[in-house]
Amino acid sequence: MNLDILSILTLVPLFTGITLIILPQILPKEMSSNLKKITRNICMGIALAMFAIATMIFIGTIGNVEWTNLLHGEYVLKNEQFSLISSIGVQWKVGADALSFPMIWLTAFLIPISMLVEWDAKKGHIFHPLILIMEGALLGVFVSLDLFVFYVFWELTLIPMFLLILLWGGEDRKYAAMKFFIYTFTASVFMLIGILIMYFHTTPLPGIGSMTGHHFDLVQMSIQGNFMPNEGLRHFVWILLLIGFATKMPSVPVHTWLPDAHVQAPTAGSMLLAGVMLKMGAYGFLRVAVTIFPESTIIFIPLLVFLGMASLVYGAWVCMGQTNLKRMVAYSSVSHMGLIFLGIATMQPLGFAGALFMMFAHGIISPLLFAVAGSFKHHYHTLEIGSMRGIAHHSPFLSGHMMLGWMASLGLPLMAGFVAEVAILIAFWLSFGWLVMLPTLTLVITATYYLTSMQRTIFESDNPHQGILPDSLHGDKPRDVTWHENTGMFILGIFTIIFGIFPFIFWDMMSVWSTEFMTEIMIDAMQNNNIWRPSLGWILEAFK
Amino acid sequence: MSSLSDISIELLIPEIMMIIGILAMIIMPNLGDAKIRIPLTNTSIPVLIGGTRFNQVNNPYIPSIIAIFTFSLSFIVSLVMIQGETNGNVGEIMEINQFTNLFSLIFTSTLLITSIATFYVMPPRKDPKIPKNSDSIDSVSTKINILMNNRRQVDFYILLSMVGLGMCLMSKSTHLFLLFVSLELASLSSYVLVGFYKEKDIGGEAGTKYFIVGSVASAVGIYGMSLLYLWNGDLQINSLSNSWSSMEILDPMAGIGMGLMLVAFGFKVGAAPFHLATPDAYSGASSPIAGLLATASKAMGFVAIMKILFIVTLPEEGTEAYWMIAIVIISVITMTWGNFAALTSDNPKRMLAYSSVAHAGYMLAAIAAIGSGLGTQNSNILIITAVIFHLTILVLFKLGAFLVLSLLEKEGLSHNMDGLKGLARRDSTIAVSMFIFMLSLAGIPPLSGFLSKLLMINGIVNISAGTGSLSSATILNWASSVNIIFWLAISIVINSAISLFYYLRIGLIMFFEEPVSSKPLEKSIYLRITIIICAIFTILFGIGPLSEILLEIVNEAAQSLV
Repeated sequence: MNLDILSILTLVPLFTGITLIILPQILPKEMSSNLKKITRNICMGIALAMFAIATMIFIGTIGNVEWTNLLHGEYVLKNEQFSLISSIGVQWKVGADALSFPMIWLTAFLIPISMLVEWDAKKGHIFHPLILIMEGALLGVFVSLDLFVFYVFWELTLIPMFLLILLWGGEDRKYAAMKFFIYTFTASVFMLIGILIMYFHTTPLPGIGSMTGHHFDLVQMSIQGNFMPNEGLRHFVWILLLIGFATKMPSVPVHTWLPDAHVQAPTAGSMLLAGVMLKMGAYGFLRVAVTIFPESTIIFIPLLVFLGMASLVYGAWVCMGQTNLKRMVAYSSVSHMGLIFLGIATMQPLGFAGALFMMFAHGIISPLLFAVAGSFKHHYHTLEIGSMRGIAHHSPFLSGHMMLGWMASLGLPLMAGFVAEVAILIAFWLSFGWLVMLPTLTLVITATYYLTSMQRTIFESDNPHQGILPDSLHGDKPRDVTWHENTGMFILGIFTIIFGIFPFIFWDMMSVWSTEFMTEIMIDAMQNNNIWRPSLGWILEAFK
Repeated sequence: MSSLSDISIELLIPEIMMIIGILAMIIMPNLGDAKIRIPLTNTSIPVLIGGTRFNQVNNPYIPSIIAIFTFSLSFIVSLVMIQGETNGNVGEIMEINQFTNLFSLIFTSTLLITSIATFYVMPPRKDPKIPKNSDSIDSVSTKINILMNNRRQVDFYILLSMVGLGMCLMSKSTHLFLLFVSLELASLSSYVLVGFYKEKDIGGEAGTKYFIVGSVASAVGIYGMSLLYLWNGDLQINSLSNSWSSMEILDPMAGIGMGLMLVAFGFKVGAAPFHLATPDAYSGASSPIAGLLATASKAMGFVAIMKILFIVTLPEEGTEAYWMIAIVIISVITMTWGNFAALTSDNPKRMLAYSSVAHAGYMLAAIAAIGSGLGTQNSNILIITAVIFHLTILVLFKLGAFLVLSLLEKEGLSHNMDGLKGLARRDSTIAVSMFIFMLSLAGIPPLSGFLSKLLMINGIVNISAGTGSLSSATILNWASSVNIIFWLAISIVINSAISLFYYLRIGLIMFFEEPVSSKPLEKSIYLRITIIICAIFTILFGIGPLSEILLEIVNEAAQSLV
């Protein structure tokens, strides 16, 4: 077994987390109580180490990777793959490219911050290891290039998140956890059926799949091109995969689990759910459905536009009517995820890169929003918009973070979200012309609900020296954020601005991936299959 | 003719161990201080049997210790035999090869787990006090009571060993007569085991029902066997196989005989429409016994079916077997009926029983695919591998699920979903294990249930999907031209999706409902150990090197069958 750095990145948090949960049950009482005291420090140490490794991979210290120089569809840091169940063609094969690496870095970045924000969570000796397990599972999704392992990690992410909601959630946590589990699990079963149909069409590779003659190797599937001869079946599989991924993203009409899960989840759970787990859907869609079935993607562009538009407009519209802060932020996530579908549907390098950057930027901004909302819940015991006014008097830091986060999320220039939105909208205009008015106008709605909610919570007090405190405080003195919450939000805010001013840090590799890899696949698919959609014809000309 | 000296004893060591175990269990509780006085002298000679039982053998756990010891020895011997690829013939009626070795392993491991799990299930009665006046009628009856006391353990474990003996012999027999006799040895013992808890009405009723239906099925099978004897004049499986393949058109006598035998074996595996007694039997029996019926007994039925279908009646490549359509229909009905009945049942035991009916349907579908004659020798071996692999790992998660119910049975809660409510809060380890079993039954990766289901579907799809014309433009054109076998794969997938509902329901009940009682679960350490072992191996055989090793062994077994 020759483990490389990506396997270490995945397996170390996973096994450390599991060990830290099991060990106190086995050890004698005294030792286990000592262990419980330092558990969170161990977890934070591991998480920081993983973040350091991810950053070093990015800079090039490890592996010596030049991310903008990757050849067509190349993966870096590939391991010498070894088989897990060679008779049915399952192997441990990991790799990263410009699509997955920003997500890997984002996961490694968010995990220590979410631990920091919930630094004194109750039952921390289980809470922090669970987040470590979560990190392992999430990284496993992003690094694995074998569909079986991908699916296993995909399901594995459910378990820690499910437990986080069930054990540390709000009053309605049972309902939310159950809904979360049922929705995502059922959807992933559709995805599994799609994966199996793909599996049965693969041709044998030397050495693996000795018994069944098939394999789960994602890279081989995309190299083999149209390995499924039947066009109708390809579309069918694409739809099955879309159901699985769109539910995770989530897109209208399968988004209803998200607001409930977010409202009930603990802060760290919300941050990871919005920051990384939603991106799993978009990542899987790009990695599996779009890469392997480009011509189905082209055929279904109208569907993608419809889904994206519906999520964007509906999500934003519903946000205006929300009175719960977290629910509002959750619906705004739905809305922003719609933009990703729109970016993919443009079939433009700029649109793809915009969608990738949207995934990344939303992955930094939305944890900030949920951290702010979580602090409100923590210090003011309520999430009702309008039950308090002028909080800026009492919690200046919290209000500052809220303002920064809200502004970033509504797409203020010089913030990370702006880059992504502008890229997607320009690409959309290039592809679909004046249809761009709808998403653009939606941005106005976005600004409306963000500004309204901000105005009604941190500003607009009738007293110039004091705010109106919510009833849920029961006359207690209002507090500002604790040091660890403050630090976490501060880091997130800083990075929002850094990636807004210097987007090229990750934008370069994303745009290279989109132009050199994705667009070529799309052009090939259009030419090979003679798909000449009138609306897309001139785009094809533009590519040449 | 073979004589006794031809028989190589070393091939039958697991069976011989079980016989020794049975003898030990019979003798042990009868050891006492009885003496015979030599006439005209005062010298007494101890005869050891009879009288007041020795204290050393009065321990009610002795039979179970003997049983565990015997089964673990025969388990190890089977392992060694698999390792050494032992093969050979015993006379003309038994053949030992990898296939039989693997099935001895399956049977002995099931029985080992069952006997460990039942270690504390039957508490001994308290010794009644003997009245002082030793001549009174009370005193006599109490003495009889003491003598009879703790015999139930002996009976139980003797019956259990009988089941094991019958099963092991049955898998080795190459003569239909021996096959049937050993099958009946195992079956009759299991009927008694089902009705063993006579304190409860439901146990007696279930045992009686199972016995009646089972004997009718056996009678039908024996009738079929006699027709076969009339047709061929010999019940050797090889000789039957020769006559069958030399037959140009189907001889009615042979066909009917074979069909009637299939009815008898169909009852054993719980195939529809012969499955109707199964849920009653499973819910009436104590949970470990129900688990035994759902795993080892089912495996036994499948061994018989595979022997007569694949050795005797399998046609040459490219021709369809006579029984193909029948098995296709039976399998689809079985899995659909099983799943829909399981969806609506509120008794976890009945639910598991119906789910085991559904699993029988999946395996029959794989068997039907072999009968279609579409596949080559190699692809047939793959499908058989899938079936045997499923039977092997079923021991882990099916039996494991029944053992979890057995833990609840002590509180009287195993007959209702209420008992599972809030299990996660009462005992998280057990609840997680149960959830693993359920997911494995549903076939979720990376658990072993997925692996076997994938292999089955893969086998079916590989041989049948090519039959549809590739040039067809739409999916509908292709669908209409594909062989009927392909739709079996589709029906397995659809049925698995349906089955998710009731398997996940158990998970939801365990994790979300409020528990009925707040008491912690009973600490029966042996039961817990077996449950956790089952759960761990359910995962280990699903992914990683262990699954690879097991698949290799199973593949060898499948090769030695065909």
